Amino acid sequence: MIVALQVAFGLVALLGAVSTALTRDSYGKVISLGILVAGIVPFIVDRGYLDVAITVSLIAPVVTIFVLMAVRRAEA
Amino acid sequence: MIALYLVAAIAVFAAIRVVIERNTGRKLPYANVMNFAVAGTLVLLLDHPLSLVAAAAYFVGSTLEANAVASTYAGGVKR
Amino acid sequence: MLGEFLHILAAATISWILFVTVDILFRLPEAGGVSGASAVARDIEAGGGALAGGTMMGNIVCSPDASAGTLLAACGVYVAGIPGGLAAALMVFIGNRICHDPGYAGTTGAVLATFVVYAFTQVGFAATDFIAGMVIAILTIQGLSHTHASRLLARLWRIRQ
Repeated sequence: MIVALQVAFGLVALLGAVSTALTRDSYGKVISLGILVAGIVPFIVDRGYLDVAITVSLIAPVVTIFVLMAVRRAEA
Repeated sequence: MIALYLVAAIAVFAAIRVVIERNTGRKLPYANVMNFAVAGTLVLLLDHPLSLVAAAAYFVGSTLEANAVASTYAGGVKR
Repeated sequence: MLGEFLHILAAATISWILFVTVDILFRLPEAGGVSGASAVARDIEAGGGALAGGTMMGNIVCSPDASAGTLLAACGVYVAGIPGGLAAALMVFIGNRICHDPGYAGTTGAVLATFVVYAFTQVGFAATDFIAGMVIAILTIQGLSHTHASRLLARLWRIRQ
């Protein structure tokens, strides 16, 4: 990949990781996890592992839905 | 080539906007912009028929995620 | 360099007009399709925006509508020509069904955008211009200022009524 793009998407992934660690709000944490995945997927596609990218992008939302069930139970 | 740089820059901009916004309901549209930009990047990076499937899978998956977050935030999924 | 930039700006304008027209024709600003869309609309209205525009932005967030159809159709035309665009329309329809939405706006937008993008590739535009242009178009709606964008969409919705 071009170096500028590596920097850009690495920045997106780092931003997601740091804000997941620092956010207090539980919905904010879930959205930040989405940013983390968004930063990682372009690196997988760039190597040519398209099947891995499809699998990751289908598993990540399912994981989020499970985390959200825990969030809702903690709130209730 | 300029299209790829433009789309990557928009992804970074949207990610920063998501992080600095405090309100959950207003975070989600910025996250949606970032998902559009990443889905565009996937196709622009690799010109292969399967990368269309990867972009569509990523986009539908992240939309489903946003949908789940928004409906839980609204107060429970409708049954 | 400059010519490509102007192509991207023109493509952004075309896809903005296309997806806003299709979304407003399919009555997206009228009601939230799922409960999450109304929550996003409520928060945008609390921040000073208009309710109808906020509902449409919430619908764009919560299920793949004409904007997603335009983006994926441009990707499909870039990868495989007209068959790629129609495959993208099929995938948008499946995605809409996954998200509990009827899915007419997204599929119609994708099929329309396939032919529009293909027509413009015949006159000198590249399909990549439309991918970048669609990302710019969604940035102007969802990413710059929610207050002004929702007021603009509400004004367009009033004209449609």
